[in-house]
Amino acid sequence: MRIGILSNVNMNMVVRMLGRSQEVYQTEGYGNELGILLNPQSSLWDFRPQMLFLIEDLMELLGHDIEPDNAKGQIARWFSSFEQTLKPDCIYYVSDAYLWGVELAAVADGGCKSALEQLWQQALEQCVGSHPNVRILPYRSMIEGLGEKNAFSLKTWYMGKILHSTQAQQAICQEIATKVALESRVPKKVLLLDLDNTLWGGLAGEADHTPITLSEDHSGLAYKNLQRVILQLQKQGVLLGIVSKNNRADAMKMIAEHPHMVLRPEHFAITKINWEPKNENIEAIARELNLGLDSMVFLDDNPSERQLVQNMLPQVTVLDFPEHPEDLAPMMVQAYKDYFQKSTLTAEDLEKTAQYQANAKREELKSAATDFEGYLKSLEICLIREDAVEHLERMTQLVNKTNQFNLTTCRYTQTQMQQTLEDTEKQVFLYRVEDCFGDSGIVAVVVVDCGGETPVVEEFAMSCRVMGKKIETAIVEDVEQTLLSQGYEALLGLYIPTEKNQPVAKLWEQLGYERLEDEGPIQRYRIVLANGPERVYFVQKK
Amino acid sequence: MRQKVIALIEEILNVAEGTVTEDTMIAQLEEWDSLAHVMIIGELEQRLGISIPLEEAIELSGVRELFEKAGI
Repeated sequence: MRIGILSNVNMNMVVRMLGRSQEVYQTEGYGNELGILLNPQSSLWDFRPQMLFLIEDLMELLGHDIEPDNAKGQIARWFSSFEQTLKPDCIYYVSDAYLWGVELAAVADGGCKSALEQLWQQALEQCVGSHPNVRILPYRSMIEGLGEKNAFSLKTWYMGKILHSTQAQQAICQEIATKVALESRVPKKVLLLDLDNTLWGGLAGEADHTPITLSEDHSGLAYKNLQRVILQLQKQGVLLGIVSKNNRADAMKMIAEHPHMVLRPEHFAITKINWEPKNENIEAIARELNLGLDSMVFLDDNPSERQLVQNMLPQVTVLDFPEHPEDLAPMMVQAYKDYFQKSTLTAEDLEKTAQYQANAKREELKSAATDFEGYLKSLEICLIREDAVEHLERMTQLVNKTNQFNLTTCRYTQTQMQQTLEDTEKQVFLYRVEDCFGDSGIVAVVVVDCGGETPVVEEFAMSCRVMGKKIETAIVEDVEQTLLSQGYEALLGLYIPTEKNQPVAKLWEQLGYERLEDEGPIQRYRIVLANGPERVYFVQKK
Repeated sequence: MRQKVIALIEEILNVAEGTVTEDTMIAQLEEWDSLAHVMIIGELEQRLGISIPLEEAIELSGVRELFEKAGI
């Protein structure tokens, strides 16, 4: 990851420290951060940064003019210039504000500091809200954690416009390294939970002699707070599952009815409450949710269960369980930061639990229905074409995150995707899928290159959530018919094998395409549009 | 105290223990540039309570002189 650090105070020491472990832009001076950003010829852009950190000292930025109206204008001007410099393929972290200056202690208005910080905060939040690639760097809480006395040094400020002590510089480096790691790793998707002595103290189902510990005080509150943390994860799109040895009825009654439960049945995408070995239950969950074991994190108080899962399913992340209940919630917050936290949330993520829950229901239906056709018909699947320009972010995410149903596994940055959309020789088909259980969201994208004699499907990616329902057949037909109506006679399909996309290795052949000669690793297939075979699927086009 | 000061200088310069001695001159060490120098003066004050006046701090040429100015 190539990162740049820009500031209106001297950050060269931070750059030097970070340079020991990261690829960092060698900042030229300081105080010209907007100038550097605005200048397309600046050395910063030659460096091609992937992440930029803007650490702004508010007092310097305001030029010590702490009159609220003036400050407001100054802040607005800063953000409006900053927003003009944004590039879509770079991620920006902008610091929130901690106002510091020697004169502040002598200002009569005690609310002045927080009022000015709030002005910055509002402008920053507005900027973050309107740009998906701009995020907040939590600078203020870092300074507050250290205390002004430890964080700032007047001596270094006077000597070299270095505002921060070594301790504060180290904390800034740490914060930046955390964000770089966050942007670089693939987040986990599923949190699997034990019940007894994990989500609550004691054993469910033995309420007569040992009521469970879950309440508003003492260790009961510690368990409740653990659940509160987990609920926040769920709200961000982490799928929750239960893997517990209990009588199902007792456990579900507890979850549904106990007055202090924070997590209720609707928060769980899947539950395996039985007496089967936990590793088998986890494997079943992976199958039913169609997710890899490496996307799962497991929490259980019982060391032998943890050991079993760790040994049998080494791909699953097994969390250490704290000795004391009061450490549960902080442990989960840390697990969130280590494994689940994402840089940006899309609306799709927020809908995910509902979708996976519906999927689990669909799975139940599938095992119940004896014939596949009947099952597909009963799903009442609808395919809806969406405007690609409006959903650029989701489309980029879909192409880049999809491994299984991805014919060519091309990866695009948001900028490249934008260019593809603007390219008049390319046609982009984007689809939403609905069925009787709900809206699965935007789940498929096809990019056709019409630049040559025969159009070529250069990319076709579909979310694994909707695989196995012949939706791909409906999509390919929709693309074919569109091209046919535009006067094209034939269509080429490509397949580039990877370790993960084996499920679609035979797609083109199954759809009646004729295999041509390979071009290196690229398998090529062709069909004459007017002579397409009769295909069976149960998808309504809207 | 002198040992503590040397350890702090080595930490900020990010050099191996034993690199800096009482005889070290600032100009000898590549790592001891103006940026590192400012940090050393700042940290002496923050962590060890050793305050060298601004004007003198800028003029320093070596460790021995630093000890003298610091009065240690």
